[in-house]
Amino acid sequence: MNKNTRYFMAGSGAILAAGLATGLFAYYGGGFAALSASTGPTELSYVPSDAAVIAYADVGAIMNSELRQRIKQVLPTQEGQEEFHRETGIDIERDIQYVVAAVTPGSTHSALLVARGNFNPTQLETLAVQHGGTAELYRDKRLVSRAAQPEGQGSGTLAFLEPGLIAIGDTATIKRAIDAQLSATSVTSNDEIMTLVAQIERTHNAWAVGRFDVLTSQANLPEQVLRQIPPVKWFAAAGHINGGVSGMVRVEATDDEAAELLRRQVNGAMAFGEMMSRSDPRAAAMLKSLDVSGTGKSVQLSFTVPAELLQMVLPAGAVPVEQP
Amino acid sequence: MMPTRTLPPTPGYLTSAVRVFELSLSEMLWSRRTIFMALIVGAPVVIALILRMAVSLGLPIFENDIRGGGTAVRMTGPAIFGLMIWVFYLRFTVPVLGVFYGTSLMADEVEDKTITYLFARPIPRGAVLLGKYLAYLACTILVVLPSVVLVYLLVVPMRGSLGASFIDLLKDLALLSLGLAVYGAVFAFVGAKFKRPLLVGLVFIFGWEQAALAFPGYMRQFTVAYYLQGLVPHAMPRDGVINLLQGIFRDTPGFGGLFWLALIWAVFLALGVYVVERREYVLEQ
Repeated sequence: MNKNTRYFMAGSGAILAAGLATGLFAYYGGGFAALSASTGPTELSYVPSDAAVIAYADVGAIMNSELRQRIKQVLPTQEGQEEFHRETGIDIERDIQYVVAAVTPGSTHSALLVARGNFNPTQLETLAVQHGGTAELYRDKRLVSRAAQPEGQGSGTLAFLEPGLIAIGDTATIKRAIDAQLSATSVTSNDEIMTLVAQIERTHNAWAVGRFDVLTSQANLPEQVLRQIPPVKWFAAAGHINGGVSGMVRVEATDDEAAELLRRQVNGAMAFGEMMSRSDPRAAAMLKSLDVSGTGKSVQLSFTVPAELLQMVLPAGAVPVEQP
Repeated sequence: MMPTRTLPPTPGYLTSAVRVFELSLSEMLWSRRTIFMALIVGAPVVIALILRMAVSLGLPIFENDIRGGGTAVRMTGPAIFGLMIWVFYLRFTVPVLGVFYGTSLMADEVEDKTITYLFARPIPRGAVLLGKYLAYLACTILVVLPSVVLVYLLVVPMRGSLGASFIDLLKDLALLSLGLAVYGAVFAFVGAKFKRPLLVGLVFIFGWEQAALAFPGYMRQFTVAYYLQGLVPHAMPRDGVINLLQGIFRDTPGFGGLFWLALIWAVFLALGVYVVERREYVLEQ
């Protein structure tokens, strides 16, 4: 082996080692802020670490998307939305930037909704008190709670977490959320769920990840139905909405065999769908946009519905017809 | 009276292979074939660099304008990286390098009429092929993997995360190394056995493998690509009719594919060694 060969091998090895070290550092340290910002929205710090499902929606981006604008043209004026605006001062179209939602497992699923946007705390608190709410201070955060109603309605709490950040949920869940943020025991310390979030959150404006097995085990489903549900541990669903819609659904099965079975079932369903949709170009085009991938325990179904296809699917008035 | 000199003991199989490896590595690395290899692994790096520069300049190349009027689908760095792994490396670089280098391991020595000198050495004949195969593996891996790492560093950070794609990078590097090893073993056998090995190799990768993967049935199980592509962590691109057909009829052997790849590798390397041990190479005058 001559000197040039040794130099070449050293150089090649150095490039390889440097690249791998960079990736490893980014993987473990979450470093390189310029290249890779922290995973997920900062509001995840309010989600308890045992959350079974967490979801995110960039409401601002979705409301401003071309698709939403087109749908808005054909939908009748939404009176409920206007009434909500009048009473709370919140214009859903403009005032909410994004929302984070979570469901924690337990005897009753506890849901938490955290919203970032432009809110008027005084107006919201007054409205809540008018509807029977009582204000309290919990760990320096202002909460307005309504006790559980005898007719079966559960307790509800509105919390003002930070300027421009509110949370809605039952009282116990809201208090757990505040505790989680203050004691740094939020879902951000759950590596499994955050790895899934990191894989999807940058490229989609709406996503949800969660423990499928926890949800099904607590859903009180009949035995026959439970037997038909594939053995899936994790699921992740994400979408990007603009002129078209692209998205993916990924599941992590409990073992390779279950994943392989699931892949076959999905491929079979797609093949059957393609066969049945020959006479319907819209359905055929939709099916063509589906793609199944994944190895090992992972199964992923991704799709892209371009704007032209949505033009075919949406009602005629939904898409402005260009005049020649 | 002349003192008697005892001959040194014949080196063992592995020692012989290592000596041939050391001899062949420099020869292989600084040959004209390396220029070809540098071109095919350099192209993705150059493309990645151009992409990165274009994005830095604010060109909307990651916006896939489907409607013609507005942005519909956003491309991301990790998605582009996955696409480049499929198109440049897995479907082209790995099989092509396997063919060009694998078939030449013995064929070059025959063509240059230097095989006699190798076989005249007191080493097992099979160790010659094994040593040359190891040199091929070292040579290609040391060129291909750094190229993949450079593409990863350039492309993935664009709307993506180096950390989130790191595991995929490791899988890709392992998969490409495995691909080079298996294709190399198959074509080392082809080079040792057949008279026109390059032609046989090209027909295999661009004819047989492409056709077998495009149709349903069990024929795909007689390709290397079937097992290799089943392990790719990225979504399969669906550009062109052949790729579309391959995508439709694609089923994934999963990690069972690893067993079959290991078997193909072992069988063909052993066959290659067996052929070199037994075959009488006749040099054309």
